[in-house]
Amino acid sequence: MARYLLKRLGQSIVLLIIVSMIGFFMLHLTPGGPLSQYALTPGMTQETIDRIAEQMGLNRPLPVQYLDWVWRLVQGDWGESYRDNQPVLSVIGRHLFATLLLMGSSTAISIGIGTWIGIRGATHRYSAFDYVATVGAMVALSIPTFWFGLVGIYIFSLELGWLPAGNMYEIGNGSFLDYLHHLIMPSVVLALVNIAIWSRYMRTATLDVINQDFVKTARAKGVSERRVLMKHVVGNALLPMITLAGMQLPNLLSGALVTETVFTWPGMGRLFLDSLGYNDYPVVMGLLMFSAILVLLGNLIADLISAAIDPRIRLS
Amino acid sequence: MTSNRITRRGTMQMMGLAGAAGLFAPNLLVSRALAAAPDAPTGQIIVGFSQEPTVFNPLMPRIEVDDGVQLSLFDALFRISPEGEFIPALAAEVPTIENGGLSEDGLEWRVKLRDDVKWHDGEPFTAEDVKFTLELVVDPNFRSWRTTGHDLVRDLTVVSPTEITWRMEEPFAPYMAILVETMMVPKHILGPEEDRNNAPFNQAPVGTGAFKWGSRTAGDHLELVANPDYFGEGPYIERLIYKYIPDLTVLYTQFKSGDIDIAGSQYITPDNYEEAKTLPGKVVEVVPSPTVESLFLNMERPQFKEKAVREALYAALDKQAIIDALYYGLPTPTESYLPQQSFFYNPDLPQHEFNIERANQILDEAGWTRGAGGIREKDGVRLSFTNSTTSGNHLREQAQQFIQQTFAEIGVEMTISNKPPAVMWGDYWTNSEFDTVIVGIVFTTGADADVTVRFHSGAIPAQDGAGSNTGQYQNEEVDKLLEQGTSTFVPEERKEIYHQLQKIIRDDLPLLPMFQYATVRGHKEGIMGIVPNINTRIDTWHAAAYYWDN
Amino acid sequence: MTETTLDTPSHRWWNSRALSRFMRHRLAIIGTAMLLLLTLACFAGPHLLAYDELFIDLRARFSPPLTGDHYLGTDPMGRDITARLLVAGQTSLLVGFFAMILSTLIGTVIGVVAGYYGGRVNAALMRFVDAFLAFPSIFLLLALAAFINPSPVMITVIIAVTSWMEIARIVEAEVKSLRERDFVMAGRMLGLSNTHIMFRELLPNMVGPIIVAATLTVARAILLEAYISFLGYGIQPPLPSWGNMLNGAQQYLDSAPWLAIVPGITITIAVTSFNFIGDGLRDAFDVRSEPT
Repeated sequence: MARYLLKRLGQSIVLLIIVSMIGFFMLHLTPGGPLSQYALTPGMTQETIDRIAEQMGLNRPLPVQYLDWVWRLVQGDWGESYRDNQPVLSVIGRHLFATLLLMGSSTAISIGIGTWIGIRGATHRYSAFDYVATVGAMVALSIPTFWFGLVGIYIFSLELGWLPAGNMYEIGNGSFLDYLHHLIMPSVVLALVNIAIWSRYMRTATLDVINQDFVKTARAKGVSERRVLMKHVVGNALLPMITLAGMQLPNLLSGALVTETVFTWPGMGRLFLDSLGYNDYPVVMGLLMFSAILVLLGNLIADLISAAIDPRIRLS
Repeated sequence: MTSNRITRRGTMQMMGLAGAAGLFAPNLLVSRALAAAPDAPTGQIIVGFSQEPTVFNPLMPRIEVDDGVQLSLFDALFRISPEGEFIPALAAEVPTIENGGLSEDGLEWRVKLRDDVKWHDGEPFTAEDVKFTLELVVDPNFRSWRTTGHDLVRDLTVVSPTEITWRMEEPFAPYMAILVETMMVPKHILGPEEDRNNAPFNQAPVGTGAFKWGSRTAGDHLELVANPDYFGEGPYIERLIYKYIPDLTVLYTQFKSGDIDIAGSQYITPDNYEEAKTLPGKVVEVVPSPTVESLFLNMERPQFKEKAVREALYAALDKQAIIDALYYGLPTPTESYLPQQSFFYNPDLPQHEFNIERANQILDEAGWTRGAGGIREKDGVRLSFTNSTTSGNHLREQAQQFIQQTFAEIGVEMTISNKPPAVMWGDYWTNSEFDTVIVGIVFTTGADADVTVRFHSGAIPAQDGAGSNTGQYQNEEVDKLLEQGTSTFVPEERKEIYHQLQKIIRDDLPLLPMFQYATVRGHKEGIMGIVPNINTRIDTWHAAAYYWDN
Repeated sequence: MTETTLDTPSHRWWNSRALSRFMRHRLAIIGTAMLLLLTLACFAGPHLLAYDELFIDLRARFSPPLTGDHYLGTDPMGRDITARLLVAGQTSLLVGFFAMILSTLIGTVIGVVAGYYGGRVNAALMRFVDAFLAFPSIFLLLALAAFINPSPVMITVIIAVTSWMEIARIVEAEVKSLRERDFVMAGRMLGLSNTHIMFRELLPNMVGPIIVAATLTVARAILLEAYISFLGYGIQPPLPSWGNMLNGAQQYLDSAPWLAIVPGITITIAVTSFNFIGDGLRDAFDVRSEPT
């Protein structure tokens, strides 16, 4: 076990190095830079921009900058945002809450609804419900999330006026209900795709269990179908579910990006987009590393939990 | 707008007026509001910004909205009124020759300071702080956003806590306007810091302004609180909140719903103007801005070397249609790079006329013949080029496509190549890697008309020049006029020079001027003391005077 | 991750069993029909319309659907949305199609090589795949789009570069499982070159899963194009694409909702078609794959 973990850790570090190098060089080779935002300031001259770039160390050779960045990172210093001079970790931390809130509620919605649809579809296989659910899931996977959001805003904000068109809370309000009110639309929009995925998963998992001998035996013994299902299906389906949940972690950054943009949600996706637009390298690199670590961690946790739950899987 | 009137005659004319205003404190600006202002600060005002203010050290590089916040927290020695007059702020009076503040040649400065100003932490503001500030802006280790003008200052001497003197290395007429934009920072806080670029002060500023730093929720909002010891007029509200709303549509929605009290920078989009006007309980005004929109040419490109081409392109530019249809008739067409409110504006420039036939005729006569695909060419040069701007600016992208169509009618191929802001305004712009750009620029520095950094042949960064002449425009006559302009102190003479300059540039067309922006600003009924000021970059330049009239 | 029941080398993808199973798959037939109609409309339709997709008429801006000859209304420049939608379809479909071809090529080659050689080659290549997977795809897309001039060709390349990993994994797993089979051994003994064995002997056995993955890649590519163009990093105006028609539509949601609704529905129809077809193909080839 310890050896396995060490091996995985080693692999992860190699991966992180590759990711950070590709990311760093790609970003820095992109034309433009963090000082561009000042180029149109009245009275701003090229020498001023050059002088500041020099002071900020932006003129050093790229490998030097990279190694400097790595060296600081190893010491726990993620750098500071070029835009507001705040430590990168605190910048990310601030936006993390908004994203976690959104992802959390949307995951809850998608697990809840997805599980229900999946089990019902499997137990009522080839029924009208199953068919609609199957087709519905495929259509849901085909809808551009941001467009679904736009339609939602059009109907529920502009036409009906029931839900706010954006933001996380009203200024000066910020009560629990206020957050909830703002959370409904973006989390449902974001949940759409995941409902589709979860429900397909659940259906397959349930079918697998239903067809297994022990379920048939249980049923034959007169145990109520409901109880059998709850016990075995949920138990057995948990495994792929957890794996899938692990795979969802990296979506923290990219999954919510477009939804956050449409709903002006102050999360990590928006932060990423804004930072990229202004070449705020430390923040973009921070987000990249943060999300790469999450991917690796997500994979590892999913594997470990799978192993813990299912003794047939051996870690090697 | 006016110049810096640091001259003998000019000083007498203008500073006399400003000086008089100074005697009555800066309440000239708030006279309209004065009658009903409350005795003690009450209530709060929420200003919505579409960009996030993040820079709070006023000497570091900043964007418009940073300015907006800094102007509430800090003061400069002087400020500038909407009419373009210099008004003393931290200074006790505007230095003039008759009050002994300036030597006759404009080289010796003596500035007297107010003795009743305290920093937000209670420490007195003194001449030491001024000396520290003016030295810090030229400190090579400090990320100062501007050294122009400051680098000419010599022999800074603190005469007494309320008096400071210095000498200018050479006459530099725009320095007064630059001082207006140089806010003072506290020596007792920043002085002892080793690294002033990363001092805690930069995120928790201490100023002398009408409002004190409250708190900041980064990515969301910023709260300033009233400074009861403010030396000037106001403040009349307890809290001033700057709310960051990253989307202009949402900014407008929140203004409509009353979530924000003032729709601040970048204001209400033109397409919402008609509706905004009719909103109950809201005051919506169109305010001219100093930004001039132009089709900016890279003069080193072979396509644009010939004046006939530039004339033809200008004739094929249907300004009026763009203004009327895309910008809802709000901006004013212009022929100059200067705002029309400027003291130096030349109103007698030739009027542009949209005329496709003439444009075609000009090109025909100049020998540009239609070749493959109907694109004109001459001596192996095709009239084909790219046009860029910040991607995501929808109105501008629409204007681009419209221009593309009219240009096609005269056999010119314009390809659109828009870029994200960091790419667009990076080397691509500063190092003149573009063909053409649609851009809104404030060409001047504050109220001054000096445009040396924009048009002088020695200011081309791509040719190792010092400045921001990214269009690579070179014209000896222009160079000469620009040099005369900065060393002339008599406003009327300067006006003459700058009129001539505008005439040459209109004639030469290194940029095709389109229009001067007008912004649609809105606030709730009942907020008093809001006065637009074209000489500043942002609407909240004087939030000290805001109050609720209930 | 993916299993297949393909057993013998003689099992070819064009065999009648797969075809007939596909034909019996109702959704797949619906998907194919929708796709054919859409493709026909996009490529033939623009010739039948009264307006050019680039023709600007500022007097007719924001005409709602069914105004005169503007069946779907006009955009903020007064251009005909029907014409733009169909021409945009050409762009988006071609981008999707070629991105699929390119990413399938990259993925297949890497997957076959990694799976066949195993050992160090496998480890190196698969770490490379993992590294790409560890990137948030949106990061790669947007960073590359900012880096490169976003022409349709470059957008195609960018999308392909960010979506080949899954195919590589599928193929690698397949090759690994087939590598030790008799026919491969036989091939080696006959002295066939590695290239020959990899691409002539092994590859035909994986056509099923590859086609399924490729079909879904088209769907994904069309969506990705829409995402990046919506964010303004994609295909530049005036050339229409389904994504960039939506860019800016949010601004006019209140006054001109059709600007957002029309392209969105079209994208959904197109992507749904590919997903239906993919589903049908999966059943036809009896490929069991888990959604990712």
